Amino acid sequence: MRTRVNDGVVEAGFPSPSQDYTTAEIDLTDHLMPNRASTYLVRARGHSMTGAGIWDGDELVVDRSIRPQHGHVVIAVLDGELTVKRLRIEADRVVLSSENPAYPDIAVPSLSDLRVWGVVTVALHHVSRTS
Amino acid sequence: MSPAPREAVIALVDCASFYASCERVFDPRLEDRPVVVLSNNDGCVVAMSQEAKVLGVPMGIPWFKLEPVAATQGIVARSSNYELYGSLSARVMEVIGRHAAWQEVYSIDESFISLRGTVEEVIQAGRRIREDVARCTGIPVRVGIAPTKTLAKVALLGVKRSAPLSRVGVCHFGAYSPTQRDTILASIPVTDLWGVAGRLGRRLANLNIHTAADLAAQDPGQMRRRFSVVLERTVRELRGTPCIPLEEEPRQYKDQLIYSRSFSEPVTTTPAMRQVLSIYAQQLASRLRNAGQEARVLTAWASTSPFATDQEPHSPQISAVLPVPTAEPVTIARGSLGLAELIRPGTRYVRAGVVLTDLRPAGQAETLPGLGPPGEGRNLGPTLDAVVARFGVGSVGLGYGGLGTPPSWQMRRAMLSPRATTHWDELVTVRL
Repeated sequence: MRTRVNDGVVEAGFPSPSQDYTTAEIDLTDHLMPNRASTYLVRARGHSMTGAGIWDGDELVVDRSIRPQHGHVVIAVLDGELTVKRLRIEADRVVLSSENPAYPDIAVPSLSDLRVWGVVTVALHHVSRTS
Repeated sequence: MSPAPREAVIALVDCASFYASCERVFDPRLEDRPVVVLSNNDGCVVAMSQEAKVLGVPMGIPWFKLEPVAATQGIVARSSNYELYGSLSARVMEVIGRHAAWQEVYSIDESFISLRGTVEEVIQAGRRIREDVARCTGIPVRVGIAPTKTLAKVALLGVKRSAPLSRVGVCHFGAYSPTQRDTILASIPVTDLWGVAGRLGRRLANLNIHTAADLAAQDPGQMRRRFSVVLERTVRELRGTPCIPLEEEPRQYKDQLIYSRSFSEPVTTTPAMRQVLSIYAQQLASRLRNAGQEARVLTAWASTSPFATDQEPHSPQISAVLPVPTAEPVTIARGSLGLAELIRPGTRYVRAGVVLTDLRPAGQAETLPGLGPPGEGRNLGPTLDAVVARFGVGSVGLGYGGLGTPPSWQMRRAMLSPRATTHWDELVTVRL
């Protein structure tokens, strides 16, 4: 639901002095998912990406319209499962790297051997569970 | 040499095995596997993937008959996840719309758009649409292109039926020579054409009109006199003259029907709210039917008094995409009841409403077998109206609005995938 801060109503010929400042409330959805049609939310489970600031239970914003590039955190399809890793495109191979020393990296021969489901843009991490 | 003409053409963009494709978006294990989607209450198969078609699974087969052999054939069944399909459909349609100046959303998985350019340019545009929709949403689409809607549907049949075309996913009728076009039309049974149903097909067969080519060769004026103006248009469109315009504004944004009232006494409990919603939904269904319309999208809301100072304001709202466009009161009532689960017991609500949008003339939608609303065909709406007209409002009603609560109202969806785009607690899990 978006709220107009000021609808600029003109009363009795006197324009509101604040009319020039008419603007919309900050909208979290616009901020976090500018491409709504191509954005899905998923829930993260596991501990291999703590170095990227993704924690078990976080909600991830995934924008499928973004073309995956070196350095993006992506969701890849591995053995029919959706898996979150950092994409590293090297000279002779592609690596899906974990960001937790306790977890291994996964190497694939080339980008064409890899199915990227989407690029993770934001992790929603709740710091105080209130309900 | 003059440049190739940049003609305006119509593209029909259709989702391949839409329901099964939706099931695959969040579950890649289903790729390349036969997937069937079941009707309300997991009754029978209403949609399936290409792999299931190849296995010969008959459309409409009851699940209890298929279940014993499903596992051995690797068939995966899913309950209808209407929330997911509606949400993904809206995304697909939005992405398609970005590629065209005009768009008509024809059904949950089909859209007509207008394109302009040479044959090669328009085919390229079709490929870009396919790539863009697949990347952004995960849903595969196919594109049939032609000067008219009727021929665009013919071109789409080519994509579905010819292996080389299905790999490309795009077919432009204008890419063929006049002789080739005649051959194509001669290969299409007349009953496969847009708007030519089985009964009409039999009447045409009596006149020795069996294929699209046979129909295209008829005199349009004679077809109008013997049949209807609709069939005349089909003949003209088969010959390449556009007669059925694109609906420039999508219907879903045009009309709505609202039933909203303030209560005489505040409503404070879930059962009472259910009763209110049942009554409102029944009223709306009656109005909708009297207007000769059907609705596809339903929104219900309730609100507390803005003047109450002793409680927090609360305005819950739900939206639902109905399985098919309908004016059927049971479906509309059921769609609105979810709101009752959102109210805070004890809070005093003073007003509620039900809004139907995406209205269209009744009887247009092609209903998949078994996917129709449960009361469809039983004449429930008119019967209720007749009783109410004779014995007064409140003399009879649906479920919570009248005669108690049949337990069968609870839809059985035992194999339901997560409603991953509409419910926070059903987000799909990804592995870290």
